[in-house]
Amino acid sequence: MAGAVPTVGSGGRVPGPPEPPYDRPPFLLDFFPLEDAGQTRLAKFFDELRLGRLTTTRCPRDATMAWPPRVVCPTCHGEEMEWIELPKRGTVYAFSAVLAGAPLGMESDVPFVVGLVDLEGVALRLFGRIVGRPWDGCEIGMSVSVEPFDVPDGRVFYRFRAQP
Amino acid sequence: MTELREVAVVGGATTKFGLRAATWPELAQEAGAQLFRAVPGLDAKDVDSLFVGAAEPERFAFQSHVAPLAAEQMGLAPRRILQRTELACASGQSAIRSAYAAIASGLSDVAVAVGVEKMNLPSMAEANTSMACVMDRPWDGAHGATAPPFFAMVAQRHMLEHGTTAEQMAAVSAKNHRFANSNPNAQFHEKVFSTEKLLRLPLVSPPLRLGDCSSMTDGAAAVVLAARELVRGYTDTPAWIRGSGQYSDFHNLANAGSLTEWTGMRKAADEAFRSAHISVGDLDMAELHDCFSISEIIEYEALGLCPPGAGGAFAADGSSDLGGKIVVNPRGGLLGCGHPLGATGIAQAVEVFDQFAHRVPAARQVPDPNWALVHNLSGSANVHSMMIYQRGG
Repeated sequence: MAGAVPTVGSGGRVPGPPEPPYDRPPFLLDFFPLEDAGQTRLAKFFDELRLGRLTTTRCPRDATMAWPPRVVCPTCHGEEMEWIELPKRGTVYAFSAVLAGAPLGMESDVPFVVGLVDLEGVALRLFGRIVGRPWDGCEIGMSVSVEPFDVPDGRVFYRFRAQP
Repeated sequence: MTELREVAVVGGATTKFGLRAATWPELAQEAGAQLFRAVPGLDAKDVDSLFVGAAEPERFAFQSHVAPLAAEQMGLAPRRILQRTELACASGQSAIRSAYAAIASGLSDVAVAVGVEKMNLPSMAEANTSMACVMDRPWDGAHGATAPPFFAMVAQRHMLEHGTTAEQMAAVSAKNHRFANSNPNAQFHEKVFSTEKLLRLPLVSPPLRLGDCSSMTDGAAAVVLAARELVRGYTDTPAWIRGSGQYSDFHNLANAGSLTEWTGMRKAADEAFRSAHISVGDLDMAELHDCFSISEIIEYEALGLCPPGAGGAFAADGSSDLGGKIVVNPRGGLLGCGHPLGATGIAQAVEVFDQFAHRVPAARQVPDPNWALVHNLSGSANVHSMMIYQRGG
């Protein structure tokens, strides 16, 4: 705490920490994952997503496919996971919309649509934001496709886009 | 297995629930004052353990390490077990379950379970941010998965698969709000919500309207639990804990399976009824977790009160009201009382104790109740927690 001791010539005032650039929520109020290899062992997911591919992990020993991707198989606890590419097309199983009560960083998105989507040809029902159609124009069974999009600090995330 | 000791809730109290001009520690103080007033035989030095149900004090009150904080606020100095229990919306029941386990095992003789939650902040967006962290935050929360859109999808599927209607959902809310009118501690104590009025309220997450959703609520509640040989020092009408069950098998929404068949709740109920040696038909009342109107409808079905898909009709025909097959949520439910996450499960136990003691207003008194079930779900209905109580005395 040596830095907290006022030094001669500083006028007795200790400069406070610099104001953080709050044009984005602080990390602990930010929803998106910390994506780089310095923070997560799943950085490959985001690297692939940046290239337009949706992936997850599968255990080569017992073929357990997991969502979200993992570093340990929940079935056999093996630690050698392999990456597989997932289909990008799916159909809506259920949906709703947020018309009020959005969290920080999502208030300007209101109203927005979210839904559960059955990916084509694989036993995986993913939750996500659905864009490209207002909530009252959406229906169960409609086709959507996965698309990546940019989020703050050079990160990337995924969402569904309604097919015309 | 070691012989377990019998345990009872011997008294309890809640603060006023609602939009409260009071901080987290102030609510804990109020809960302490109310508890000591409600249980005259309670001596602070006899309370050897304290369990504190609190879902998100780090988010809503920027405060960790809340177990000693609550002890200090309540004037308690536990010498055996002091801990916080966090299970989101079921944090309160989790505190009771932990106190029950401690006393049953012999590690505690007299324990207090308190639940405290301060949820209303000057910024609602900040409060909603906290709520979205209950879900799998980086994978589901990041898309905007708060509770209303999730339970809206549950309602959408139930309407599609079983023909459940908005009117049936409103019937749940109208019943629970009516009960809340006779509960002065309820958030919506003095508000009247007819089915017609509920159907005119704005949509929050379609098909759910404002009246289908429990609210952000500040409040606290506390109960005392004691071992069999000490019970008579506190009350003539103990609420004996006779059974309990809990089940969870997923967290991320991708792993939810059916949205409308709550198999986890069935499994928790099987265990609760097995351990209590009773069946659903023995229950006189149930405090079910009506975080949303559709939740109570599915809970009737998962509990076996009616066949799958028939929950909407069960609500609309009065089967869950006074004079029906079972009285559900006479306290006013989460819909009528509000839902301070950590306090809800405790307040439900207080209602069971007060119902057994015939200490509630006549408008919500269940006639001569002997068996009661308390249920909490948490998160996306991915955890179900249940306790079964029998009236003593």
